[in-house]
Amino acid sequence: MSPTSHPANPERPQYLRVFLTFARNSLVRDMTFRVNFLIESVAALSWMIANLGFYLLIFTFTDSIGERTGWGQYEFFVFLATTMLVNSVVQAFFMPNAQEFSELIRTGGLDFALLKPIDTQFLISLQRVNWSSLINFVAGAILLAFSVYQLVTRADNPLHLTPAAIILYPLFVACGIAILYSLMVSLAATSIWLGRNQSLYDFWFYITNFSRYPMEIYNGTFGLPLRWFFTFIVPVLIVVNVPARVLAQPLRPDTSLGIAMGLFGIGATMFCLAASRFVFRRSLLSYRSASS
Amino acid sequence: MSIIEIENLTKTYRVYQKQEGLVASLRGLFRRQHREVEAVRGINLAVEEGEFVAFLGPNGAGKTTTLKLLSGVINPVSGTARVMGHIPWKRENAYRRRFALVMGQKNQLWWDLPAQESFRLHQQIYRIDPAQFERTRDELTDLLKVRDLLRQPVRELSLGERMKMELTAALLHSPDVLFLDEPTIGLDVVAQHNIQKFLKHYQAERNITILLTSHYMKDVAALCKRVVIITQGRIEYDGSLSGIIDSFSGHKIITLQFAQDDAIDNMDRFGDVLEREPPRAKIRVPRAAVAKTLAAILAEHMIEDVAVEDPPLEEVIADLYASVDDAQAARERPPAEDPVSQ
Amino acid sequence: MTALIRVKTWWTILRICLEERLVYRGDFALGTLMRFLPIVTQIFLWFAIFEAVKDARNADDISSISLSGYRYTEFVAYYLLTMLSRAFSSMPGLASGIARQIRDGEVKKYLIQPVDMLGFMLLGRIAHKVAYYSVAMGPFALVFFLCRNMFSGLPAEAATHSLTTLLAFLTSLVLGFVLGYFLEATIGLIGFWWLEVTSILFIYMLFSFFLSGHMFPLDMLPQPWSTLVDLLPLKYLAYFPSAVFLGKVSGAELVWGLTVEVLWIVFFVALSRWLYYRGIKRYSGFGG
Repeated sequence: MSPTSHPANPERPQYLRVFLTFARNSLVRDMTFRVNFLIESVAALSWMIANLGFYLLIFTFTDSIGERTGWGQYEFFVFLATTMLVNSVVQAFFMPNAQEFSELIRTGGLDFALLKPIDTQFLISLQRVNWSSLINFVAGAILLAFSVYQLVTRADNPLHLTPAAIILYPLFVACGIAILYSLMVSLAATSIWLGRNQSLYDFWFYITNFSRYPMEIYNGTFGLPLRWFFTFIVPVLIVVNVPARVLAQPLRPDTSLGIAMGLFGIGATMFCLAASRFVFRRSLLSYRSASS
Repeated sequence: MSIIEIENLTKTYRVYQKQEGLVASLRGLFRRQHREVEAVRGINLAVEEGEFVAFLGPNGAGKTTTLKLLSGVINPVSGTARVMGHIPWKRENAYRRRFALVMGQKNQLWWDLPAQESFRLHQQIYRIDPAQFERTRDELTDLLKVRDLLRQPVRELSLGERMKMELTAALLHSPDVLFLDEPTIGLDVVAQHNIQKFLKHYQAERNITILLTSHYMKDVAALCKRVVIITQGRIEYDGSLSGIIDSFSGHKIITLQFAQDDAIDNMDRFGDVLEREPPRAKIRVPRAAVAKTLAAILAEHMIEDVAVEDPPLEEVIADLYASVDDAQAARERPPAEDPVSQ
Repeated sequence: MTALIRVKTWWTILRICLEERLVYRGDFALGTLMRFLPIVTQIFLWFAIFEAVKDARNADDISSISLSGYRYTEFVAYYLLTMLSRAFSSMPGLASGIARQIRDGEVKKYLIQPVDMLGFMLLGRIAHKVAYYSVAMGPFALVFFLCRNMFSGLPAEAATHSLTTLLAFLTSLVLGFVLGYFLEATIGLIGFWWLEVTSILFIYMLFSFFLSGHMFPLDMLPQPWSTLVDLLPLKYLAYFPSAVFLGKVSGAELVWGLTVEVLWIVFFVALSRWLYYRGIKRYSGFGG
């Protein structure tokens, strides 16, 4: 054995540098299909505009979503903007990889990922970046700024932004992103067991669909169990609700509930990350590598 | 200590038995029938540092599965393996930095990007020192004559060029052990030859250990001193290439050039007549009987020329595959029912 | 004789597709279950809106409130019906599949084998739908049974009262399937000219999601949007069958609606045929 023939620094891989190379390579790739990139950006943006249009239509019929929930038009637009921020990050960094994953299993390309001296989950879940989705991050930020401005400057009961809200908002947005990342990794991992997984994307859409609405709408005999399920079992309701509430409705009567939700949100994030890692590792044990 | 040690390595797969017909398929929705396929059945093997070993065997014999086990891509059912002291399927970074796997039918380079971008990614992942990285990359691409293609998107390269890029990528971190799974598959003769030449040169220079699977006997003959034949998940032979004929072919081929054409007609007494082209004939004779047969022929006929040869390697190996198949079939055939006892 | 052979070939193709579907049962079971989830949130959302309106108007009960001509129960019925329509008209993976086959050169097999790609894939789709809904029929029936109250109090033109409407509804479902198929096939065939169809597909999905009536009843839209939506074929994929069932479209309007739908189908059949013909020509010109 010749110990001199390989690099002298066998410590941790440089994850940040590798990630930046992923991002750079993806950008190089995107730029070779420039027209495509442009269309994708415009499409992603129009999707959000259409969504906004739908809610503008709804707010022509009502002043608030739900009875005395505090989700008036601009409070709700803060909610919507938060959804856009979270989803754009998920779509830019995780979605292309999750879609690629079942393809890697089908073709046996996962073999190569397993050979690399770097964490396999890191490699698999972050190697592609879909830059065009980030346009919605910008759009979300603009909508957020506009809605917060409307709330702060309105004559009737203006919103008072506390420093705590400003600090906590990005923290909980990050938690939400981490929860969705975990869910996506777990879902993608199931394609090792289930084989071809066309409905992965559908499943993802259906589950995250629940996170797009204020949790107050899940009420009554059927609603409460749903709310419970999507808070404690598959905690997607926390993803947008917690940060949006922190920013748009800091002074709700049930503030203590808000604090509990916040703490729970952080705990749930930790748990989800750990669980997804566990599921991913388990799924690799079942990987049988498509033969050539 | 050997660089690769394999003991009793076994891998089985569960395969879903697809039922014929629609009704059966519907039934399969609820209950599936599985079949255990034994891809590798208790392999024992030791490879020393610097060896260049070829795995031969028919499709589905377990060659690729063995390489995948040794790469840690899949986990075995039982048995152990150690490569450079590491258990492959633990997938330790310390191990993964020191070997490489190249598969002729799969590619790891980013399809839409120039190869050099993928190489740079490798440099980051393997933490190769930048100066050394550039030196290695230039050296490899010069040897393989693809240096001027580094900036072209991989999808625009020919199959041979792509394979050379794959090889370069795999060797950037200077692995001590290299697994090659049919590296020349689908390539034209020139490209095959170039890759053989490269591998030979590279292995000789670095004294690395290489396991190769290939269907091309030319690859094997050009590169490997040691050959391991695997069929039905078992090792049937382990030794030199020429030794295959000694072990598995009990025959020699005698080519005779007669003085008269008519002498050919009654050659059947001496052995299997393979070719009859007056005044020449080829007969197959048991190895032990060569001397006696030759003496007998020489005594009866006027011979102008004679040559005694081994049968072609491909034929011996094909016969070997077939004989193992037959033996397997005989073992698995259900015992015939006895009509009397019923 | 040739007709018989043809039918036999088609039957074989159909059967193979069906069997292939059934192999991936994990996918299958999951997909069936998940289909019901999106309308659940939609129904909750509208309930919350009706509650808020009730509160604002000081009404006693949400049953007395109607938004844009839809009572709460009608909203629920509408969403259930659009699900059924989408079940017929949605073609998951069709366009991207065609584009992929073109990109990977798999399309060559249609040049070599004596099968027509669009016909072959149509059979595949039918097989897909048949296989899917022979299993999914159970959950569908259950949901509609549980929600049967949502279908009470519909007008006399609705399919619950009128056989003609019911027939028109079924016709519009089948036409929706055909239209959906040829529309998506057309998009997929753009792959002959454009390597990555995904972006176009994404735009189509976007438009189809909002403008087919999947998200909300299209007649809620104010002018000029409602006229614009009326001119597009997308409304036939979800809104139109549901509106027919609920008795919102009847008489001459219904006949006109169905006629225009048939015309759209003819248009997309012709367009897809033409694109396929031109695409294949272009493809073989390239030399694969």
